[in-house]
Amino acid sequence: MANVIFYILAVIALTSALMVVTRKNAVTSAVYLIVTMCAIAGLFVQLGAVFIAALQIIIYAGAIMVLFLFVIMLLNLRKDEFGFDTRVFQRLFAGLLGIVLLVQLIMVVSRLPVVAGQPVDTEMGRVAPLATKFFTQYLYPFEIISVLLLAAIIGAVVIAKKKMGK
Amino acid sequence: MEMIVKLIPVFPLFGFLIIGLTNKKMPKQVVNIIACGSVFLSFVAGTIAFFSLLGMPSNSRFITGFWFDWIIAGSFSSSVSFMFDPLAAVMVLVVSGVSFIIHVYSIGYMAHDGGYWRYFSFLNLFVFSMLLLVLADNVLLLFVGWEGVGLCSYLLIGFWFHKKSASDAGKKAFIVNRIGDFGFLLGIMLLFWTLGSTNIKEISHLAPEMLVAGGGLVTAITLLFLVGAVGKSAQIPLYVWLPDAMEGPTPVSALIHAATMVTAGVYMIARLSALYVLAPTSMAIVAIVGGFTALYAATIGLAQNDIKRVLAYSTISQIGYMFLACGVGAFSAGIFHLTTHAFFKALLFMGAGSVIHALSGEQDMRYMGGLKNRLPFTYKAFLIATLSISGIPLLAGFFSKDEILWKAYSSGHGHPLLWILGLITAILTAFYMFRLLYLTFHGKSNVTAEAEKHLHESPPVMLIPLYILAFLSIFGGYIGLPHALGGGAWFENFLMPVIAESAHVIETGSHHAPSLEYILMLASVVAVLLGIVVAYNFYIKNPEKPKQLAQRFAGCYRLIFNKYYIDEVYDYLIVKPLYILSLIFWKIFDVRVIDGFVNRLAKFFGSMSERFRILQTGFVRNYALVFFIGVIILVGYLCYIFR
Amino acid sequence: MMPPINWPVIYPELAICITAFIVLIVDLFLPGRHKWVLSLISIFGVLVALQIVFMNFGLKGDTKAFFGMVVSDATGLYFKTIFCIGTLLAIFVSITYQRREFPEVGEFYTLMLLSTFGMMIMASALDLITIFLGLEMMSIPLYVLAGIYRGRYRSREAALKYFLLGAFASGFLLYGIALIYGAFGTTNITRIVELIADGKPYSPFFVGVGSVLVLIGLAFKAGVVPFHMWIPDVYEGAPAPVTAFMSAGPKAAAIVAILRIFVITTPVIDLTWVFWVLAVVTMTWGNILAINQNNIKRMLAYSSIAHVGYLLVAITVGGEEGVSSAAFYLLVYTIMNIGAFAIVVLFAEREEFYENISDYAGFGSRFPFAAITMTIFMASLGGIPGTAGFVGKFMIFSGAINHGFYWLAVIGVLNSLVSIYYYLRVVVAMYMRQPQTRLVDIAISPSLMIAIIITLLLVIQIGIFPDNWLSLAKQAASLAF
Repeated sequence: MANVIFYILAVIALTSALMVVTRKNAVTSAVYLIVTMCAIAGLFVQLGAVFIAALQIIIYAGAIMVLFLFVIMLLNLRKDEFGFDTRVFQRLFAGLLGIVLLVQLIMVVSRLPVVAGQPVDTEMGRVAPLATKFFTQYLYPFEIISVLLLAAIIGAVVIAKKKMGK
Repeated sequence: MEMIVKLIPVFPLFGFLIIGLTNKKMPKQVVNIIACGSVFLSFVAGTIAFFSLLGMPSNSRFITGFWFDWIIAGSFSSSVSFMFDPLAAVMVLVVSGVSFIIHVYSIGYMAHDGGYWRYFSFLNLFVFSMLLLVLADNVLLLFVGWEGVGLCSYLLIGFWFHKKSASDAGKKAFIVNRIGDFGFLLGIMLLFWTLGSTNIKEISHLAPEMLVAGGGLVTAITLLFLVGAVGKSAQIPLYVWLPDAMEGPTPVSALIHAATMVTAGVYMIARLSALYVLAPTSMAIVAIVGGFTALYAATIGLAQNDIKRVLAYSTISQIGYMFLACGVGAFSAGIFHLTTHAFFKALLFMGAGSVIHALSGEQDMRYMGGLKNRLPFTYKAFLIATLSISGIPLLAGFFSKDEILWKAYSSGHGHPLLWILGLITAILTAFYMFRLLYLTFHGKSNVTAEAEKHLHESPPVMLIPLYILAFLSIFGGYIGLPHALGGGAWFENFLMPVIAESAHVIETGSHHAPSLEYILMLASVVAVLLGIVVAYNFYIKNPEKPKQLAQRFAGCYRLIFNKYYIDEVYDYLIVKPLYILSLIFWKIFDVRVIDGFVNRLAKFFGSMSERFRILQTGFVRNYALVFFIGVIILVGYLCYIFR
Repeated sequence: MMPPINWPVIYPELAICITAFIVLIVDLFLPGRHKWVLSLISIFGVLVALQIVFMNFGLKGDTKAFFGMVVSDATGLYFKTIFCIGTLLAIFVSITYQRREFPEVGEFYTLMLLSTFGMMIMASALDLITIFLGLEMMSIPLYVLAGIYRGRYRSREAALKYFLLGAFASGFLLYGIALIYGAFGTTNITRIVELIADGKPYSPFFVGVGSVLVLIGLAFKAGVVPFHMWIPDVYEGAPAPVTAFMSAGPKAAAIVAILRIFVITTPVIDLTWVFWVLAVVTMTWGNILAINQNNIKRMLAYSSIAHVGYLLVAITVGGEEGVSSAAFYLLVYTIMNIGAFAIVVLFAEREEFYENISDYAGFGSRFPFAAITMTIFMASLGGIPGTAGFVGKFMIFSGAINHGFYWLAVIGVLNSLVSIYYYLRVVVAMYMRQPQTRLVDIAISPSLMIAIIITLLLVIQIGIFPDNWLSLAKQAASLAF
């Protein structure tokens, strides 16, 4: 049963991800991205990471995607500006390389000794153990991320703010 | 005494710094005093150290001058410290002495040049680098001097940089030298790797113990050093820079050709003689390179019309003699010839400079002639130098050249064929030198009317140095008078303790009948006279004959006149392909294949609007593509090794 | 529950980070014409950090903190020294330029400091996650800095390219980390090394691909061919002081992270040949392309690629000797490269004015001091004896010969021969060409002069007395293995 659900979710996630990159309309792409995010959230639930699944939906599928859609609509792109690369050869070449990398990665993953039936540690997925990890073992990266976000905000402001003076 | 040795190279360094930093703020007279004075002080210090060296027992003549430790990293150490032993002493005296004379001469020669300050500061730096080179007690420091000399030659050859040919010649010299340096640097690394030391004295002690004589390792090391020496000393195949080095001011040519720079290679081989005697193959290669260069350059010298160019090829040829001497194991004979050559070659260049100066810059011998009476002082000095380089008995050049020829024949590493090479070169040398003399000073005058107006003998500040050198060109050879002529071979004995003369040389020297030495000596004298007579015939008695000959052997003449087309060949084989390769990489790979992989960049670029271009130059995706290919190759490699 | 935190370990990072915030806050209250105060604060902050770094060399007891996420060992401290020096010099180089070109952007210094903060995190990270975060911390401010000259489209373009490709590279880095995590169940480097030593079964293929992907992400930042494509465009497009900053610290940070990753890969897989090939390709490519460049920033960009190639030679050699020569070379490279860029900034009185090598014609007599200094930097970059660059190259190539990499040494030395050609072109232009146009006077800024003089003195000092620096670099290497 669990396997069936996994494969369904995986297929949804992958096909909609493929749709994201192939659609001509930006808004359609964004909607497909939401679908992907939701499917991934489903996978998290299967792994017992309920909290992460909730975050996935709230932040990615919710907040970030709404922002995306806003931006796309504000820019009001015409087709020729947000068009596709018409250079067929380059696309074929890139696609070919992508397939090569895919084959290579499949080779890698297939070599991994599969340990079947490992029980999922559902305890870890809850908020409390996660928070404990964040504030003990992962405190340092956690704090760095806070500075990182600040740096990103500063950067965005610097780039976006109107020129003064001159 | 240590202090004095330490100070020898410091004087010119200060000269360079003072003149270089104050530049045009300083009056010319002060520049003269500082520039010449600093080199003179080096010479005086060298002389004092030299005499104190003489006062020591002949086996322990050695003074160190330690400044400071330079690099100490684990087992590797190198210091800035000097060694003053007989070999270094000879070199210091020759370098500082001849350089001093050239400095004085330059005062007159460069008097009206706008770059007077720059010139003298570079000249001092040049002398400093050369002194550093000859005094260095480890090969790494030697390399520093080596590079410094290369840099200075570049700066001085390209001194008149507004002439394109001059700056090109400077570049050529530098690049060709770098090829040699490449070998030298690898040699140093290999040497350090095998012996664990860069100190020359230690190397000389360690080499016989730790290296297998005739083994591949020592042969490799010595051949790598030979690559360096060939580059710096302008031997086949890296000699091409030297003739072009004529583009610099004439005193610079004198400095490069006589006292510094080109002799560095010979010095280095003699300095590392302990290594060379362990590698007979390398010795043979040194001798062959030297012998062939001597002959080869002499043939080119036959047909050149530029007075300085003839002298340039003659330098290459004479250095070839020195290599020949080193190659047959007669290192001291090589250094001996280096010394006498420094005297007469400096004299020749400065004499030529005096002629050029008198003719307002004319260098083509076809527009000279009959200057004997117009420039009497220059002529006499020039005549002495010509006689000396040709090897007329009892002049300096005779003794040193004869020593080399004798050793080429008699030494254990020698061979009669090498002697024949040397002998033919001697004939050719006499011929082209007298051709030079006759064309310039004898016959009827071909001086252009314009030059005729300003024709004047050079000022005393230029003539006095000529006469000092003329004196040395006559008597300088007596320090090395061979046993066969009743001398004591003092020079050889003086150098003996520091130069690892191959045991063969001394032993086999006595195997030959003593009369043989006289016979060979006679043969070389006859050869020289033959060359002179032919030259007389061609250029005084029958001035039309050379032209007829040139017409009859037109192909041959053109080949020689164009220096065997070696410059063209190098250009075609090395310079062009490299340049084209670079262009291909840039134009085709970077610009076409990568930047505009399929997107016909140029058209695209022109037609799009400014805003559009910022976002969509098409570059980024191509960059990512290259990145991606890199990833695939690397991961693919892992897939391969873990298959 | 929570053990006490070993604060001294991250004091240098804290110093830089706090300075960045102070600059940010003070910026709010300063009117436009007084923004120079910010540079003083930044310089002070970096000096404090440098002092702490020196003090931390003598740190006793436990050198790890935050559950083994971060360590204060000689390697990390040595590289932090390089970052501090690089940032300090870059600030000196920037002051006048920033006041002239974008006076209103006080955040300039904040971003620079935050980027340095990121480098420091990378240098002492003992966890793959920390390395990744450090990398992003370093890069995000750099993306912005590259585009900070908003008036010029090339600057904006550089920022965008850098950002897109940087994100692309980070993707591979993260994927690699995920693979390694998949194999060991942890991202902590110390823990992974323990697991390997204990004989925990793992798939070397899996770990190998994972670590190669991580290395690729880092190689992108260092500018290893073929992950170098962004470098010429970004170096050319970014404002010259930013390029100076970008060309030094981030490369060193990427290299130190590569060294840290090496601890994992060494027992798993032998990557010697991979690095051998990368070294050869990188130095050859960089040098050959540099020959034909006319824009001096672009030329220096390709030359920086070539220098990464030399560093890769040292990494290929590996072991104590390789690592110490790489560490030493990075210090030398930082100093001489920033020095060269300082001169470029000095001459670039107006942007795009003196940026071509041919524009330098006649500078030899017009600006004698600057010209001779530039000559020395070029000589050092080319590896001419008597300069720091020579000692650096000598250590790398003799290391290669000592460990039997003869061909690598030969190719390396040949490459540095080629490089002499284009470095010399600058010298030739300055001394041996007549200027085409009348030369404009250049206002000498005192801060720029400070940077030039410091770098000049260091280049000569290291070139002649490299001893202390070498032993410091040696110390940095001895603890990494």
